[in-house]
Amino acid sequence: MSAPRLPYRARRFVLRVQSRLSVKMTLVFAGVFIVATALSLYGTRNAIERYAESSINHEMSVNSEVFNRITSMHFNQLAQAGQVLAADFGFREAVATGDAPTIESALDSLKARLNLDDAFVVDPYGDIVGLDGSIMEQQRDTLFEALDLGNEQGIANWANENHMVAAAPIKAPMLIGWVVFARDFGPAELKDLAKLSAMDLNPKIVARGDLPEGVALTKSTGKAATERLVDNERILFSASPVPSLNAKEPQALLLEYSLTTAMNQYMPILWAILGFGVVGVVLAISGSWMVARRLVRPVTALSEAAKKVSAGEHAEVAVETRDEIGKLAKSFNKMVNDIEDRERKIAHMAFHDGLTGLANRALLREHISQRLTMLERGKHFSLFCLDLDNFKSVNDTLGHPTGDALLCEISARLQKILPDCFIARLGGDEFAVVSGDEQSASMTARAIMSAVEPPIIVNGHRVIVGTSIGIAVAPNDGKDPVELAKNADLALYKAKNDGKGGFRFFEATMDAEAQARRALETDLHDALRNGELELHFQPLFGLSQNRVTAFEALLRWNHPERGRVMPTDFIPVAEETGLIIPIGEWVLREACRVATHWPDDIRVAVNISPIQFRSTALNSIVLQALTSSGLEPGRLELEITESLFIDDVEATLASLHSLRELGVRVALDDFGTGYSSLSYLRSFPFDKIKIDRSFIVDLLEQDGATAIIKSITMLASALGMETTAEGVENIDQLDILREQGCNQIQGYYFSRPIPEAAVLELLGIGKEPAARVA
Amino acid sequence: MAGDLVMTVVDKGGKPVPNAVVTVYPSAGLPGGAISFPWGSTMVQQDIAFNPHVLIVPVGATVRFPNKDKVRHHIYSFSKPARFEIKLFGKDETRSYRFTTAGAVALGCNIHDMMSGFIKVVDTPFAAKSDASGALRISGLPAGSARVVVWQPMMRAKYNEITLNLNFGRTGATQQRVPIEMRGGA
Repeated sequence: MSAPRLPYRARRFVLRVQSRLSVKMTLVFAGVFIVATALSLYGTRNAIERYAESSINHEMSVNSEVFNRITSMHFNQLAQAGQVLAADFGFREAVATGDAPTIESALDSLKARLNLDDAFVVDPYGDIVGLDGSIMEQQRDTLFEALDLGNEQGIANWANENHMVAAAPIKAPMLIGWVVFARDFGPAELKDLAKLSAMDLNPKIVARGDLPEGVALTKSTGKAATERLVDNERILFSASPVPSLNAKEPQALLLEYSLTTAMNQYMPILWAILGFGVVGVVLAISGSWMVARRLVRPVTALSEAAKKVSAGEHAEVAVETRDEIGKLAKSFNKMVNDIEDRERKIAHMAFHDGLTGLANRALLREHISQRLTMLERGKHFSLFCLDLDNFKSVNDTLGHPTGDALLCEISARLQKILPDCFIARLGGDEFAVVSGDEQSASMTARAIMSAVEPPIIVNGHRVIVGTSIGIAVAPNDGKDPVELAKNADLALYKAKNDGKGGFRFFEATMDAEAQARRALETDLHDALRNGELELHFQPLFGLSQNRVTAFEALLRWNHPERGRVMPTDFIPVAEETGLIIPIGEWVLREACRVATHWPDDIRVAVNISPIQFRSTALNSIVLQALTSSGLEPGRLELEITESLFIDDVEATLASLHSLRELGVRVALDDFGTGYSSLSYLRSFPFDKIKIDRSFIVDLLEQDGATAIIKSITMLASALGMETTAEGVENIDQLDILREQGCNQIQGYYFSRPIPEAAVLELLGIGKEPAARVA
Repeated sequence: MAGDLVMTVVDKGGKPVPNAVVTVYPSAGLPGGAISFPWGSTMVQQDIAFNPHVLIVPVGATVRFPNKDKVRHHIYSFSKPARFEIKLFGKDETRSYRFTTAGAVALGCNIHDMMSGFIKVVDTPFAAKSDASGALRISGLPAGSARVVVWQPMMRAKYNEITLNLNFGRTGATQQRVPIEMRGGA
């Protein structure tokens, strides 16, 4: 809106006006009032002008009417007198006989009696008798011409003056002349006429040809006068016809009145209106300024308050009135309070767990951060990271509502036993506790565990959960919340790894271990793709057959930098990260592929990790490995561990049966360790039981060991299962095992695990017949 | 050894004008002897009018004015050739007046303003008045040029007359159509 050429000051002024409501309102009101005043001034002036014009018009038409009446009265009077004289016999005789003295004396006496200005006789040939004063020839001819044409009344001009003329023919009986009576009709007489009118219309008799330019003759009365500008004065002219004696020289009555003069009479009214208008504008400006100020002040206050609120401060405005502004202020205050309420709620939600109402991770971090900064020298505080054991199975089997109720109960218990501690829920089944060093961290940890352990009745279910705890002590175990929490987590991880239901303090080595694990994880990820994995095969020697009957495939990892990585080091990592699935698949395929090069009576055994076993894809992976290699299913033996039975017996059995349906053999590995239960043997017909190496080692040292082996082999053969002894390292062990009826042996005594090529060599394929061991 | 003048008097609009008196004065001179006209010299007042309206009489003729109305009349003339007044004569009363000067004499009645009559006193035997069709005939005119005066009481001209100069043959009729300007109304 601001034009580019506006000077700077003007632009600033415009901006300030635009940005101030009170100024704007004042300008609008003042503008409206000025327009209204101008309109009323204009309207009044126009109305006055119209009124003046119509008055003048009316007066003019009245005037010309009066003029007509008066002149016609005169004409009639003159004509009557003339007719009387023209009919007089003696006068006729005098005219007929050209008796000028008699004529003149008669005219003179009549002139005096009738108060005529002129009285004379015109004879039929245009000669005039009895006229006092002179008449020019042309005027005489004009007069005669009119009379000769039969015109007997009208205005005629001679001797530089207009005259009202009435003529009467003198007949004897033929026309012998005219009696002409005349009265002067000059300015003086017109002035007398003008005195009859309310306003001086300055009547003039004007030859029609001499009318002012543009002024037309009005034939009828009441017609509008014509306005002409004469010497900068607006003058209304009205011209009406008057009877002229000679039609060739028509005359008009010209009336004029100055509209400017007329308007000037009304000027005081206009000045008064203008004056009132000015006063009104001043009042409007001051009034609207005051109203605007009153309106704007609370708005400004609101605006200030709103600024404060947006800056995060609390602000309220005073409610001064009960009008809309007051209501706005009220609403504003309510809004501010509501916003603050909501902010408090949001803030609470942002820093608290919705389920238990405990602090959340963010608040925990905040809390730790505060405590760290406030921590006095030599003082400590501990961060406990809790993870409930078996919570997942509660959630899965009993449903989330039960899980949630459980979490709430745990939360309540923690708050009860640790009233002075800061407790947070980090999500899922993870909790955190921050405690000072009023009592030892171990005591606190034990207190927590004993609080969690008692059975909990939720939704009618009796649930037992335990907890693992990792502890990090500030400031030694972490200078900031992130580090402290990470270390407490590491400690928790360790605690879980050590077996559920315990607590561990963070140790510096844990951090190093964790890093090493992460590196191993990364490398393992690449190992499969880079072909760093390799299978070695350890023979299983059939004692009754007296030959190698199978090979167990064992995974080897040759890392370009680490060298040979032991399975005990990387298999757990693979299991945790899930890498065990692709690795396990590779092992199966590779083992099947290699075994196809072997004689048909030699099987291959592959270890199946519990993770792999639980994956739903195992069946199809086995089937694919068999199909793609072409290995006969009966030659593949899957080794599973007892630990599978701990979690879910039913599911494990179902999986085993479906594997068996593929035609593969299933062996129970590491039998005798862990949760060995004879019921497993009854529930699933394993093809083979592999007796754990610990029993074999004991054979030569402990007396009872042989009895155990004996009972296992007896049990197995009674159930129709083969037995394999692992870890056989010397001939004595072999002898005992053979005695006790063990079917196969495996161990260094016979052979370490060997590469694929060595297997072929051992079997004598392509070189020599297989060496037979006695 | 004489020709005739056959004239038709019309106004400017071509309408016939009656009561126009034509007098002819041959250059050869007038014949001697008393002048007399066949229509006599009587002007009757009848039905508040002069009858005939226009009467041609020779100089020296005595015109009789019989009153055949029941009302009285007051005949007057202010005309130069004969100024006279014959007052208040009653029914069947006859007065006369001798006209001794040639010229037009306008007769009026002082009692009845609308009554108007004319006596044209002529000093030539060659005179005639146009009839209702504006036609007139003057016979026995000597050959040669002649001054012909056309008079009509309503003619717009000085002394209500115009003068023509015509030539007449030895025999035969000279046809002449004379337009004159008439006064309107009066």
